[in-house]
Amino acid sequence: MEIIGELKTAREMGLVTCTECMRVSPRGTARCPRCGHTLRSRDPYSLQKVWAWWLMGLGCYIPANLYPMLETKTLVSSQSDTIVGGAVELAHDGNWGVATIILIASVLIPVAKFVVLAGLAVGVWYGPRATQGRRHILYEIVEYIGRWSMIDVFVVAILSSLVQLQTIASITPGRASLFFALSVIFTMLSAQSFDSRLIWDTNSDGMARRRPGRIPRRRRILARGN
Amino acid sequence: MATDADTPPEAPVTSARRGLMDRISIVWIVPLAALLVVLFIAWRGYADRGPVIQISFEDAAGVKEGSTELRYRDVAIGLVEEVGFTQGLDRVLVSVRIDKDVAPFIDDEARFWVVRPQVTTQGVTGLNTVLSGVYIEGLWDDQPGGYVGRFEGLPDAPLERHGQEGLRLTLRASGRASLIESTPILYRGVTVGRIGKPSITQDGSSAQAEAMIFAPHDKLVSSATRFWDTSGFTFSLGPGGAALEFSSVASLVAGGVTFETMVSGGDPVEPDTTFTVYPEESAARTSLFAADEGEALPLSVVFSENIGGLTTDAPVEMNGLKIGEVTALNGIIDEEEFGDNRVRLVVSLSIKAGRLGLGEEAGSDEALEYFRERVKDGLRARLASASILTGGLKIELVDDPDAEPTTLVQGEQGTYYLPTAESDITDVSATAQGVFERINALPIEEVMVSATELFEEARALLASEDVRGVPENLNNLLGDARKVVGSEEVQALPGRLEALIAELDKTVTQFNEAAVANKLATAVDNASDAAKGVSTAVEGVPELVDRLNAVAVKAQEVELQEMAEELTELIQTTDALLGSEQAKALPGKLNGALSELSAIMTELREGGVVENVSSAFDSASEAADTIAEAGRDLPDLIADARRVLTQARATLEGYRADNGLGREARDALSEIQKAAKAVASLARAIERNPNSLLTGR
Repeated sequence: MEIIGELKTAREMGLVTCTECMRVSPRGTARCPRCGHTLRSRDPYSLQKVWAWWLMGLGCYIPANLYPMLETKTLVSSQSDTIVGGAVELAHDGNWGVATIILIASVLIPVAKFVVLAGLAVGVWYGPRATQGRRHILYEIVEYIGRWSMIDVFVVAILSSLVQLQTIASITPGRASLFFALSVIFTMLSAQSFDSRLIWDTNSDGMARRRPGRIPRRRRILARGN
Repeated sequence: MATDADTPPEAPVTSARRGLMDRISIVWIVPLAALLVVLFIAWRGYADRGPVIQISFEDAAGVKEGSTELRYRDVAIGLVEEVGFTQGLDRVLVSVRIDKDVAPFIDDEARFWVVRPQVTTQGVTGLNTVLSGVYIEGLWDDQPGGYVGRFEGLPDAPLERHGQEGLRLTLRASGRASLIESTPILYRGVTVGRIGKPSITQDGSSAQAEAMIFAPHDKLVSSATRFWDTSGFTFSLGPGGAALEFSSVASLVAGGVTFETMVSGGDPVEPDTTFTVYPEESAARTSLFAADEGEALPLSVVFSENIGGLTTDAPVEMNGLKIGEVTALNGIIDEEEFGDNRVRLVVSLSIKAGRLGLGEEAGSDEALEYFRERVKDGLRARLASASILTGGLKIELVDDPDAEPTTLVQGEQGTYYLPTAESDITDVSATAQGVFERINALPIEEVMVSATELFEEARALLASEDVRGVPENLNNLLGDARKVVGSEEVQALPGRLEALIAELDKTVTQFNEAAVANKLATAVDNASDAAKGVSTAVEGVPELVDRLNAVAVKAQEVELQEMAEELTELIQTTDALLGSEQAKALPGKLNGALSELSAIMTELREGGVVENVSSAFDSASEAADTIAEAGRDLPDLIADARRVLTQARATLEGYRADNGLGREARDALSEIQKAAKAVASLARAIERNPNSLLTGR
């Protein structure tokens, strides 16, 4: 998305958008006249929420990788694999495609999500190194792709519900699957908590905000601008 | 903007410093809560963690770290954390994390073993482990004990199962009886126990195994109980016909042991009592009645000789009494002990202490002490023939006083070895062969031919006229002999003897009449001679005669009358002398002595000693002469009789020599012999006791 010329945010224009129905109202309106949603120019707790969920997601992601994801019991053997272990096993067996999918879906994407989210949040905090447009694209990707991380959980769920032949063969989800699902949920929540409008704010001051304590001051400046 | 002027100037707005609760989003509660939960779980996990125990196993096939469970009553109560080795790699050390609740119960009596699938004749066990993998089973009681960190794992599952109380016994197989692992112990066809893993006893003579009789059947076992092997079948052929016995098809295939308390009144048994398993029921029954023999004392004997023919159950005898039996025969090579590497044979004996007669309470210790003493005195074991027909051997305990002194030696395994003596094996086969050969070599056929010929000749002889005339001739001879004996001369013999003796009497009387003092010596001489001859007839006479002889000699030398007169004179003189004044001065004692002497002399003079002696001598002489006379004639008489008889015998013998054999002839001869003996005994009687002729008795 190419941005041509000077972009003015709604906030700079003295407007506030309803995040639900996208109606633009004059600043200071408490509730959206169309949908009744509370109108806020910026979510002051956005970054806190992001970090909170992000930490939760990361916390869950660690056991998700340490514990077995899938426990396969057959008549003669029982096997339990972690995410990476399972992928390596598949790769050993020659299923490079499946192994790649699993690695991408369960390792690459979540890790990338953590990095991107952290990067975005840090960017808002300390000042970005990338352009606003690029950061926005990153955010869009994270938002969009987050749900696909659940693919692993779905695979486990489907397998374990299909293969239940008692003693002959049975597949049960391991403890890691729960943690992995939680991790995905928390990262999605984290991404959702991120107020994307903050991406655009930083440039309006022409300076990166160093400390959260500065926010009121900038608000004062903005208010003066009104 | 003008309107701007109308509005009041914008007051500087400073937003109030918000409180901590305003500045911090409520969403932080979530990670905080998560953290708390994690911490709580971590703390609980740590706090609930049970201790680790280490179990060492011979091998740990199938035990995996992190997946093998420790189970109690088939419930997992622990997980293997680590599989390693003990120091020196000789055992596998399995570390198991156990539940905290169970940990106090796992005390030092706990036992562990690895459950693996097993297929035996008794069935399949541990089948579930085929799929799930092995697990470690634990067994302990319901009494909490102290925590013990280290255990020795059992190689096999113990006999008990959870919740199965019972009586633990030791079974010892005797003879052909066999003990098979985990076979059932049956009682009237019902499984009431199980046999554990059999092992060989220390001396290698038999197998033994632990066994378990499960409650409540353990009450069935008493000291009067006998076990026997029911595996296989027995076939017996007896007066009652043939009998095929087996208890069940299952035990026929798989083996089994059964028992029965055959007599009442047994005492309850202690755990770990040893019972013997007999090969069959009859043996068990027999043993019951021979059971009151106390403990059996195991002894061993090493024979360097060939003991072919010695079998187990061969008797061990002492003084011909069976005191035990052979329980096992084994070879032994011990170069250090014997100096060469020849195979020697170790015979294990079982001595019944009760048969040694050491008293009712005697056990094997007393028996051992007894043998120790006896061996010092020379008791030795030796091989001896038990049966001539089979060549079977037995062992005899014999006293060998010449044996080198030795003691009862205790071997390495605690067995006591009896010293041996040279064996006493009669090589029956060799001897018998010799006998048969000699019999074979006898010229029986020739003997038979000769005998037949002899009999024929004898018949011919007996049938001859000469032989038939023998009895008649003999009769004539006997008649002649009777005539000789019954002749008047022989009959008159006693009368003549009497007359002779009367004559002798007369002579003696005459002799008596002609008695002179001077002839005293002659009489005495005669008496002496006679007395010597008839020492047997008149006991004590010779001595008397000797004395008298001496007296007589003295008497002959001294003329008593004159001496007496002289003595009288002397005494009178002495009297006069003593009556003098000087004599009175002599001590009174001398006086008394002299007066006593005087009295003696007076007695001598007046006592008539000489007359008495003389008359005694006279009678003795008389008797002696009578006998001497009779004695002189008798030998002639006997010699005459002998001569007659010798002639008779010679005649008869001649007769027999001429005419051969004949029963009647022999009879006749024996009669004659009898007659002759009668005469001889008469003669001897007279010889021995001439007085009988005199007295007529």
